[in-house]
Amino acid sequence: MRKATAISAGLHAAVLLWATLSFSGKSFDVTPAESLPVDFISEKDFSEMTKGVKDAPKVETPKPLVEKKSEEPPKPIEEAKPKVTEKKELQAAKEAAQPEPQPPKPDPIADKLKQPDEPKQAKTEQPLPPKKPPQKPQPKFEPDKIAALLDKRDPQRSAATGVEANATPSLGTAAGSAAQLSQSEIDALRARLMALWNPPVGMQDASQTQVTIRIRFRKDGTLAVGPQVLTSGSGAQFTAMRDSAVRAVFVGQPYTMLRPDHYEQWKEIDFTFDTKQMFHDLPAR
Amino acid sequence: MTDHSFPKISRRGLLVGAGALAAAGTRPARAVLNIDINQGNVRPMPIALPDFLTGGPTEGDTGRNVTAVITGNLQRSGLFAPINPAAFIEKIANSDKVPSFPDWRAINAEALVTGRITRQGDGRLKAEFRLWDVAAGQQLDGKQYFTTPDNWRRIAHIISDAIYERLTGEKGYFDSRIVFVDETGSKDRRVKRLAIMDQDGAAVRYLTRGDDLVLTPRFNPSTQEITYMSYGQGDPRVYLLNIETGQREIVGNFPGMTFAPRFSPDGQRVIMSLQQGGNANLFVMDLRSKQTTRLTDTPAIDTAPCYSPDGSRICFESDRGGTQQIYVMSANGGAAQRISFGEGHHSTPVWSPRGDFIAFTGQARGSFSIGVLKPDGSGERVLTQGFHNEGPTFAPNGRVLMFFRDVGQGPSLYTIDITGRNELKVPTPSYASDPAWSPLLS
Repeated sequence: MRKATAISAGLHAAVLLWATLSFSGKSFDVTPAESLPVDFISEKDFSEMTKGVKDAPKVETPKPLVEKKSEEPPKPIEEAKPKVTEKKELQAAKEAAQPEPQPPKPDPIADKLKQPDEPKQAKTEQPLPPKKPPQKPQPKFEPDKIAALLDKRDPQRSAATGVEANATPSLGTAAGSAAQLSQSEIDALRARLMALWNPPVGMQDASQTQVTIRIRFRKDGTLAVGPQVLTSGSGAQFTAMRDSAVRAVFVGQPYTMLRPDHYEQWKEIDFTFDTKQMFHDLPAR
Repeated sequence: MTDHSFPKISRRGLLVGAGALAAAGTRPARAVLNIDINQGNVRPMPIALPDFLTGGPTEGDTGRNVTAVITGNLQRSGLFAPINPAAFIEKIANSDKVPSFPDWRAINAEALVTGRITRQGDGRLKAEFRLWDVAAGQQLDGKQYFTTPDNWRRIAHIISDAIYERLTGEKGYFDSRIVFVDETGSKDRRVKRLAIMDQDGAAVRYLTRGDDLVLTPRFNPSTQEITYMSYGQGDPRVYLLNIETGQREIVGNFPGMTFAPRFSPDGQRVIMSLQQGGNANLFVMDLRSKQTTRLTDTPAIDTAPCYSPDGSRICFESDRGGTQQIYVMSANGGAAQRISFGEGHHSTPVWSPRGDFIAFTGQARGSFSIGVLKPDGSGERVLTQGFHNEGPTFAPNGRVLMFFRDVGQGPSLYTIDITGRNELKVPTPSYASDPAWSPLLS
């Protein structure tokens, strides 16, 4: 009884000790993984990265990271997926089996009888001894054929290990602390203006498709002063474009998605209204 | 473990710190946030059009009528959504006073038009209007016009154009007219008369009596003349008709049938087809010198010619390749290049006044469609399709097409946006076909 208790206690203590040591040791490993390199990107850059551009040039997908080691890749692939019922297989199997001297007794007789006659009979009577050994070894035998088993398709998510340290941007804002204007606030603001902005149809084939407007906000999300148009231009199309943008900004207030505690960052915003991507499929000269 | 990672972290920390310092050093003290708005929400703009004020009871109806015409024009363009007057909160009592914008914002109006019609001492009407941006709370446009009282409809169209251009950035098309073939009577004894009306279907006037059959009327871009094809007893011939005087003359002195006429952009020449045996070729006649020039000489049927807006090229329909297709060639003739390669036949090409598109009647798989393609043959699009659609004609700003459609009993006129949206029937007194849109009158 005592002995058992002592053993039990001892084992428990040992397990606890082991757990304490090993788990605590592992927990140290996790911390350095968190100290990832931080990219400095502005809100605009981040939005640019994530929004997707209709008229962007097609970027070629990076070259596969896997290096081809075999000289002749197509052949191994064919051999890698053997079809048991094919005749070729059978012959290959025989060839593979023949050099081995162990089952010679049935072989010569059966071969001489059935080879000239019909291959079908060979299937029924002969297969048992030679079939089993060749099926498995074939893919495994040649070491240079192992390369054929590797997935040679273009890598899809492995780009992150490519030349760029981090091709898939993570949410790292320029001053990444919590009390900053968040991306979701900016997106909400952008979404609101996109919904309200009714660009003039005359812009469809206009040369000037952009107008930038500077807005100064009050803390309650309303406009402090009238919008300041930073783009200069003239003509009916420009004025219609400019007015449509100004109208959207006016109608959208108050911008309640902008939180007062970040006021310092959004008290002045430049909005660039751009129709270039809008009328892609519509008539353009 | 910690020994390895610690210096790493501190190095990164240093880098981060240095980066932050560098960024802080190069940036202005407070960087202005820049947000790109690259998508809009194209929709009809809500616009409030309270009745124009009037100086006295005699003009009472005129004010209301002018507003009604403007409202109709803007609504039919598909780009504006006039707000029901019953929703208006503020009653405009003085069109010179700045309106109470919160009242208009409350009903979601984005633009507001106020105006006044007053009779002058000399009997003329004075029409004024102001276009307000409700959101920004400012005046966008303001004009006044003088005219004779019976010309109020024209004034309404001109004001519509001013509003349209100011808000869309594009020229309007409301102050324009349509010439078309009015069809009355039973199907086998149709009386076809030339008629002219405002683009909204109002103020219809007949130009011929209906003794002869008339087809394919076309406007002269610079004068009050139309050219059309007519036949009574003899061969079908191309005529010129002065809308104001009613004077009529035959174009050219050709032995055979002439058809499918159209003016050049400067209005000085008429281009048409002349039948020669089983073939037809294109000819152009200078209206002043009466000199005719042959443009094509093929053993095929070349017809429906139309000039490009700059007058340098011609598009036409020809079956020289086996089926009816659209070809483009220099205005002086020469080699023609086929531009239509879509399914089926392509006929009746019309060049947009903006030059960016050629509209056509397409025929494939038993249905007729109205479509557009670019002058280089690319970008072919079908705008509307059905049992029978034919004869497109462009509005002066190249944004709207009118065509005629026959669903069985008789043809009617329709308009459609070049984007393929906003298809509308044009009111006509009876059946109507072969519309031709005039240039802007002013």
